[in-house]
Amino acid sequence: MTPTLIQTFTLTPSQGAILLLCLLTPPLLLLAFRWKRKLSSGQREISPDWSIPTIDAQAQGSSLFHTWTPAVKIGSLLIVSFLIVALHALFWSAVGLAFALLTVHLARIPWQRPLRRLAAMSGLCVLFLLILPLTSPLRSGDTLLVVPLLEGMPLRLTGVILSLTITCKAATVALLMEPMFATAELARTLQGFATLGLPSSLTQMILLCHRYLFVFQQEAARMQRAMRVRGFVPGTNLATLRTTGNALGMLFIRSFERTERVYEAMLSRGYRGAFPATSREKIAAGDLAKAAVSIMIGLLLLVLDRLAPTPRF
Amino acid sequence: MHMMAAQPAPAGDQTPLFALNHLAYTYPDGTPGLRGIRLDLFPGDRIALVGRNGSGKSTLIRHLNGLLTPQTGTCLYQGQCINESLIPELRLRVGILFQDPDDHLFCPTLYEDVAFGPRNQGRNEAEVDRLVRDNLAAVGLDTLRHKAAHHLSYGQKKRAALAAILAMEPEVLILDEPTANLDPRQEAVFKRILHEYAGTLIVIEHDLLFLYGLCDRAVVLADGRVHHDYGFNDLVSHPQALRDHGLDFAFRFTCCGHHRDGAGHHRHHHPTHAHGPDCDHLPALETGLPLIELQHYSFCYPDGSPGIDNINLALFAGENLALVGENGAGKSTLAHCLLGLHRGEGAFLVDGKPLTKRDWRGLWRRVGIVFQHSSDQLFCPSCWEEVAFGPQQMGIAAGEAERRVREALALVRLEGFEERVPLHLSGGERKRLAIAAALSLHPEVLILDEPTASLDPKSEELLLAVLDALPMAKVLITHDLFFIRHLCRRTVVLHQGRIVRDYPTDEFLVDDRLQAINGLDYTYKNTCFTEIQAMRRENGREE
Repeated sequence: MTPTLIQTFTLTPSQGAILLLCLLTPPLLLLAFRWKRKLSSGQREISPDWSIPTIDAQAQGSSLFHTWTPAVKIGSLLIVSFLIVALHALFWSAVGLAFALLTVHLARIPWQRPLRRLAAMSGLCVLFLLILPLTSPLRSGDTLLVVPLLEGMPLRLTGVILSLTITCKAATVALLMEPMFATAELARTLQGFATLGLPSSLTQMILLCHRYLFVFQQEAARMQRAMRVRGFVPGTNLATLRTTGNALGMLFIRSFERTERVYEAMLSRGYRGAFPATSREKIAAGDLAKAAVSIMIGLLLLVLDRLAPTPRF
Repeated sequence: MHMMAAQPAPAGDQTPLFALNHLAYTYPDGTPGLRGIRLDLFPGDRIALVGRNGSGKSTLIRHLNGLLTPQTGTCLYQGQCINESLIPELRLRVGILFQDPDDHLFCPTLYEDVAFGPRNQGRNEAEVDRLVRDNLAAVGLDTLRHKAAHHLSYGQKKRAALAAILAMEPEVLILDEPTANLDPRQEAVFKRILHEYAGTLIVIEHDLLFLYGLCDRAVVLADGRVHHDYGFNDLVSHPQALRDHGLDFAFRFTCCGHHRDGAGHHRHHHPTHAHGPDCDHLPALETGLPLIELQHYSFCYPDGSPGIDNINLALFAGENLALVGENGAGKSTLAHCLLGLHRGEGAFLVDGKPLTKRDWRGLWRRVGIVFQHSSDQLFCPSCWEEVAFGPQQMGIAAGEAERRVREALALVRLEGFEERVPLHLSGGERKRLAIAAALSLHPEVLILDEPTASLDPKSEELLLAVLDALPMAKVLITHDLFFIRHLCRRTVVLHQGRIVRDYPTDEFLVDDRLQAINGLDYTYKNTCFTEIQAMRRENGREE
């Protein structure tokens, strides 16, 4: 039963369309990406293209993010990310999202990459956007939104706002990853992390993982091909599970053997537990200025979020 | 049993660089690696370390770099026992190139990979930069120095790995199977660099023709022991010793001669289209119905990299066809197209009919393949399951599947291996198991991608006998001229994704223009072999 102090607000068709568009953007993005992938892979090859995107593919450039020393850039953008995640209001979260879009634009990264990243996380956002408006608990003073043609499924305004806020903040952080990681070679980025205090053994592991991810992917693809040319068609049966288990086990053993061989190759070239140190990058005044501006923007958003009145329906 | 040859005495009172005395090593699972090795290696030696697969060659070289330490016996470097305190210094002086280049290239860019060793040697950045640039230029990769290794071809990776070792300016250079899977052009790069290398050189290699002229001393290992240690020319001119150790390469002889131009126009066996008056079809050959025919077939990878372009190819039942070309010419891509793994544009006819959607799905029943890396093909816990996998997927009754498995294992001479683990087999055995796995499907066409890579001559001979006895059509992708000559009557030469020659193998063998076309220069090896034959005749050892 609906509590007595609940308000009901019937949206006009245009308001309803805008709201639905906001809620359905992530699932549409996900569907569009899947359709595009199917279209591009279906024509030429039987299997889809599972190639791993190279994290630092756009490392060569001259934007203000490319020229920013990685340690300062990562530190600053991480702080900005935390500040934006701490926002409460949908309006200021949306402003944060606009700021993230601006950074991607300024980093001169092809939009396909950030869109791919957003599509990857849109599955989680879809859950929030579809479930929270229908299920968030109603409290006294809450508003129910009635969308034309969907009168039987009134949406909780608090749920709509909460789900959109979460989506905005998640998209902001995902977008900030691009200027943070894609605008310098991975080795420089990891050196930046090391400067910020990340243990060197961890950065070495990430570097090696990134390199051998591609080798293992090629091995897995070759094994998958070998299975296909002998008639293997994956299904939902015990035989498929057994075959897949065998193949994964074989890949694991071979990966383990490769790690031993790589380690031997490293030892044979003088490795003694640490990658040889290269000269550390110097921090220029320009780096600090960029850091100050970006952190100020983050702080300003947080202050406005806490103190300034936000627009209401 | 042949006589064991004594170690040659060094010139003068030279101190050995390495002195191995009663060196023995047993692996943790109880497999003996080395047994009582006695060997002195001198500065400036150029040694061919040869022997069958599993004879202990790789175990021996790991001792020279301190990757393994002696369990019994001693291993001295410049008179000092190799121990924990000496090993760090030793590794900076002794460079090893392992078989798989991916093991060497663990940094994000080639530059970092090549700089890794010199930086560990404590050199300053300017010197490191010079060494990186010089050595990448020497292997022809200077323009790719900021590329990641996964963007390179196999041959490029192999050259990059060599550059990474050479950048350390090692006193001793050890190479384990440096030319496996390389085309003759890439092999020539290795040969040139190794000729120029002035230090002590130790090469493990099954291709003795590659070593001829490069090494002056041969150490033959068998069952973890040194069986011969003498001049390299003595080894190659001693057929009996080669045969005893499964190293006889005499069957590889080919000779040079005349050449002729290839045909310009192509022919189709089934009319699917017509060209304009400037490019007409040749009349179809009176050779019957092709099993598979590709007409103007092209394939380009999804990332835009070129695959094959405008391929016209007919394959007949029972025919053996060699597919040759430099690394990256499109041979494997064409094989994958024949298997239906890649679907390109153009006509793909089987038994004269274009493939329907259902035919594409069932192409694997008619075309089998043995991949270059046969380990990738083996994913079951036992040899029996491996060979039975295909028939099981076909839905064949258990009794018939069992009969096929036994038949296939017998054909490749692996009876008694049913319960063995595929991963624990030798390279040659794995290759034959992969063939058995394909044969159990009773394919009409069998594609073999680089079947002889990394096999010792004995395993090669066995493989040759196995392939010779198989009745189906075979497509052989290889750089191995002997296999081509022995198995195939027809050779197709690919270059940059296109067929540039399609002619009888006899004509291919005498086509000395191939070097100009795509670097398939086999004449050097022919010359080497002719010289070796002359030596044998002089020694009265020619059989």
